[in-house]
Amino acid sequence: MPSPIDLHEAPLEADGLGWTFGVILIASLFLLCANAVSLRDWIDDLPPSPVQAQAAELADQWVVLSEGLGIGLPRKMLHAEWKRAEEARFHNQKDGEGGEDSPG
Amino acid sequence: MLFPTLSFGLFFLFVFCIVWAASSSNEWRKILLLIASWVFYGAWDWRFVALLIGSALLNWGAAGAIWLQRDGPAGRRKAIMILGVAGNLLILGYFKYYGFFVEQLGDLLHAAGFERDLPLMQVVLPVGISFFTFQGMSYLADVYAERLAPARLLDVTLLMSFFPHLVAGPIVRGSDLLPQFAESPRLTRDMASIGLVLIVWGLFKKAVVASELSTGLVDPVFFDPAAHSRLDLIAAAYGYAVQIYCDFSAYSDMAIGIAALLGYRFPLNFNQPYRAASLQDFWRRWHISLSSWLRDYLYIGALGGNRKGFVRQCVNLLTTMLLGGLWHGAKWTFVIWGGLHGGVLALERIWDRIRPDWLPRLPRALGILITFHVVLVGWIFFRSESFDAAIAYLRGIGIAGGASEVLTPLACALIVFGFVIHFTPADLGQRLALRLRLLPAWALGLLAGATILIVDTMRFEGVAPFIYYQF
Repeated sequence: MPSPIDLHEAPLEADGLGWTFGVILIASLFLLCANAVSLRDWIDDLPPSPVQAQAAELADQWVVLSEGLGIGLPRKMLHAEWKRAEEARFHNQKDGEGGEDSPG
Repeated sequence: MLFPTLSFGLFFLFVFCIVWAASSSNEWRKILLLIASWVFYGAWDWRFVALLIGSALLNWGAAGAIWLQRDGPAGRRKAIMILGVAGNLLILGYFKYYGFFVEQLGDLLHAAGFERDLPLMQVVLPVGISFFTFQGMSYLADVYAERLAPARLLDVTLLMSFFPHLVAGPIVRGSDLLPQFAESPRLTRDMASIGLVLIVWGLFKKAVVASELSTGLVDPVFFDPAAHSRLDLIAAAYGYAVQIYCDFSAYSDMAIGIAALLGYRFPLNFNQPYRAASLQDFWRRWHISLSSWLRDYLYIGALGGNRKGFVRQCVNLLTTMLLGGLWHGAKWTFVIWGGLHGGVLALERIWDRIRPDWLPRLPRALGILITFHVVLVGWIFFRSESFDAAIAYLRGIGIAGGASEVLTPLACALIVFGFVIHFTPADLGQRLALRLRLLPAWALGLLAGATILIVDTMRFEGVAPFIYYQF
């Protein structure tokens, strides 16, 4: 059976494992810096415990620091734009009435 | 533990590191993958890890017994195979269909005048049970047909438990995965780059397109169709067609991508299904691992396919699709959905036979349009809570007027996007991966991080479970 991972060109002989590890490491570090809010939200949702409370405090400080340094700004701006797109209505609809019939 | 969550991301990072660190020993690698798979499954309910192990033991034992009898009487081998398949069906039947059948039996007895209460039980449905039992049955059938030699217990258990495909497929057959378990895999840049493309693409389809359409449009309209206008009902039906595709194909893409990062190759599960020009074509593009399973083991293997005459072929098609519908869940709406697909598949065969030679074939574009709308009607039954709700929905499309209350410009854009991606080149992801594999690690790392960040800013708060988790 065919697979989407078949690229139909000669495979590169270069080291794949080290390269992939590098890609994942850089992407993780990037997200840790630029997406501190998601990390904080995830920690906030964990079951309460002394460790969770300490981690939540650190995550809060990290959010404040990353926003202070401006690295959290792109996320904030993009999210605001997306929220604006979500709230947009056609001209014959009232703003924000879309969810009126929502079950929950 | 859902794929598009930070919990899974951290779990996967840990598994990726320890599994590749242990790759000098293929045995240890597989043992670690097995433990990781049980941890992944146990995150839902630890009790069902025992069911998973029991199911693997059943199939390993039955396959071994079939193989031991390969020089013995054919009847004995067949009897062992049937017993093994029956064991799998018993597991599936008890957890998935017990309540449904008891309820139907109760109604039947009541109609016949017997006012006896039957023992109703609330049976918890283990996640992914339909997938791993089907995998077990295909393994047994392959060993019985000598397409596959029986594998060791570790390999069979890992085949059935491997976490990327465990809870919502694709249904990876033994013949696909067991040979890959024979030696320690090597991770190439090709596999890693296409794996990352599939994971990020799947994340976008699920977290943005499917979730947004589900919460903003589809769920409110299907919850109370009578309260919505014709335009809302039509939009929600189209929205659901896009949602279910983006939801389920996203899971498959992420599963295939995750397996690729661990060094394994999973088969294709979706191939732009809404560009199908007939229902037969649709089933070659939608949930390919299930449709090919049903074709090989049920339609041809058990029912005889087209070997017993044309009428029997049509009956076999209908039976296969009715059972395929029931596979999705113990509800009449799924049976009707399967019956509709089976009926139209049979009609297509009949039309092929009786079509006069002078009558030209339908233009492809018209074929696509008709096929899609047959599929769309099927989705209304598939999504509705009951048969009556589906009929009310269809009736509402015919009579309910008024302006739309829930259709937003964003929902419209996402629906259009969901259809447009069906008409882009099918190998777009592979072409992208061929370019990405040439980048230095830091550049691709930044690109992947930035793309995930963008997706994360657009995702709906929280992540709804994948639609196919319930099956």
